[in-house]
Amino acid sequence: MAISRRTFLQSSLAGGAALTAFGFDVTPLAAQSRTLKIERTSETRSTCPYCSVSCGIIIHTLGDKAKNATPHVVHVEGDPDHPINRGTLCPKGSSLEQDIVNSRRLLRPEVRRPGSDRWEPIGWDQALDEISRKVKATRDATFVAQDPRGRTVNRCEGIAFTGGCTDTNEFNYLVVKTMRSLGVCYLENQARV
Amino acid sequence: MPLTRPQLGHDHHMEYSWDRRVARAHQLAAANEDARPLLTTYARLLELQSDAARALAQLSLTGGIEQDLHALATAAHPMLTAAVTLCPLPVVTAITRLLHSSDTVFAAALVHAWEDTAGFTERFVLQPYAEQLAARRIAPSIRRAAHGRSSCPFCGGSPQLSILHADDARHGGGRSLQCAMCSTIWPSRRVVCANCGEEDEHRLAYYVATGLEHVRVDACDTCRQYLKAVDVTRLGHAVPVVDEIATSALDVWAVQHGYCKVELSLVGT
Repeated sequence: MAISRRTFLQSSLAGGAALTAFGFDVTPLAAQSRTLKIERTSETRSTCPYCSVSCGIIIHTLGDKAKNATPHVVHVEGDPDHPINRGTLCPKGSSLEQDIVNSRRLLRPEVRRPGSDRWEPIGWDQALDEISRKVKATRDATFVAQDPRGRTVNRCEGIAFTGGCTDTNEFNYLVVKTMRSLGVCYLENQARV
Repeated sequence: MPLTRPQLGHDHHMEYSWDRRVARAHQLAAANEDARPLLTTYARLLELQSDAARALAQLSLTGGIEQDLHALATAAHPMLTAAVTLCPLPVVTAITRLLHSSDTVFAAALVHAWEDTAGFTERFVLQPYAEQLAARRIAPSIRRAAHGRSSCPFCGGSPQLSILHADDARHGGGRSLQCAMCSTIWPSRRVVCANCGEEDEHRLAYYVATGLEHVRVDACDTCRQYLKAVDVTRLGHAVPVVDEIATSALDVWAVQHGYCKVELSLVGT
């Protein structure tokens, strides 16, 4: 039978009767296809940011390249082909989707005043001003120019900085630049991967 | 975790036995009104292939298509005779022509189909034979390599579909391809086009229909080809080749959206 594998439905749909390449009737299935709600999802291979194991992950993004749709992440799973984790993820890695899509994500700065039991919103400008003043005051009060044996050290012992594992490379670069220029030694940006 | 060598799927032949495929086809036909006519026919065709496989299991096979022609003819005659009452007119014409052809023509048709392109009739006859060879580990004679980048490590055939499942080496969601001719299942990577090897995530996507979440259409925008994937981590009792045919509505949708299937199913969807 000289039917190419490419001929399925191409001529027969136009005529009203849907037939497969070999003539089997698929009219009800063609009708069913018109009622289906079908969505496009893309898979992106990436690396889990949480620890130094560097497990491979696959991120599923719904609506990628689709019309009238904002792409959003719907699922994150372990990459079964990745040599490190072969599809497995720890409980923290399994929750990665919530690192990306989370209704409890902070969208503006908040402050907890000394002695207070609650966080309150604060404006960006006010937050920046207060942090600058406190950094200046703390650094001036705790700066060590020379150690007890008279050696020049120029360090700031009153400030520490801790980062988070999902901080980006660019953010960590700026953190190190800023903290080292202040003389901060207690610096941990949690860059592991 | 030990790195295990990928194994050719003899276990999967057991896992998706003829009986299991037949039972699944009847089960899906009963449950799915739209797919019932196609699945009822397919179930009957599977039963005939199953009978042929049982007949071939009793015969000695060499793997050389020309040497095995007598065994093939013995198994093929009853299944083709019975299939005449099930199939649409173009297929019946082809079957009748093959049934009434001389031994030389019959042999030439099957040899050509084995080595190159097989239509419905030849594939219907050759599938149980190829599965027997795979199950008995008899190396088959040379076939033309599949047109795409992925070809069956046993017989060189094109992939019929992807299966997403856990296996010895991979936990959950690992992808394997299943051969359209000998049903061998072999491991393959995710997020790569089985036909052209495209790896750019922006040119690959999968389409899923609400209510049919265990079957995806894995499409490539570079070669405009697609392959369906049956996710048995979502539906454990799915039998991939049968569930693929039961969801032929997705194929209609894919063709209407400009995609072309890497390899049609036995019934041409």
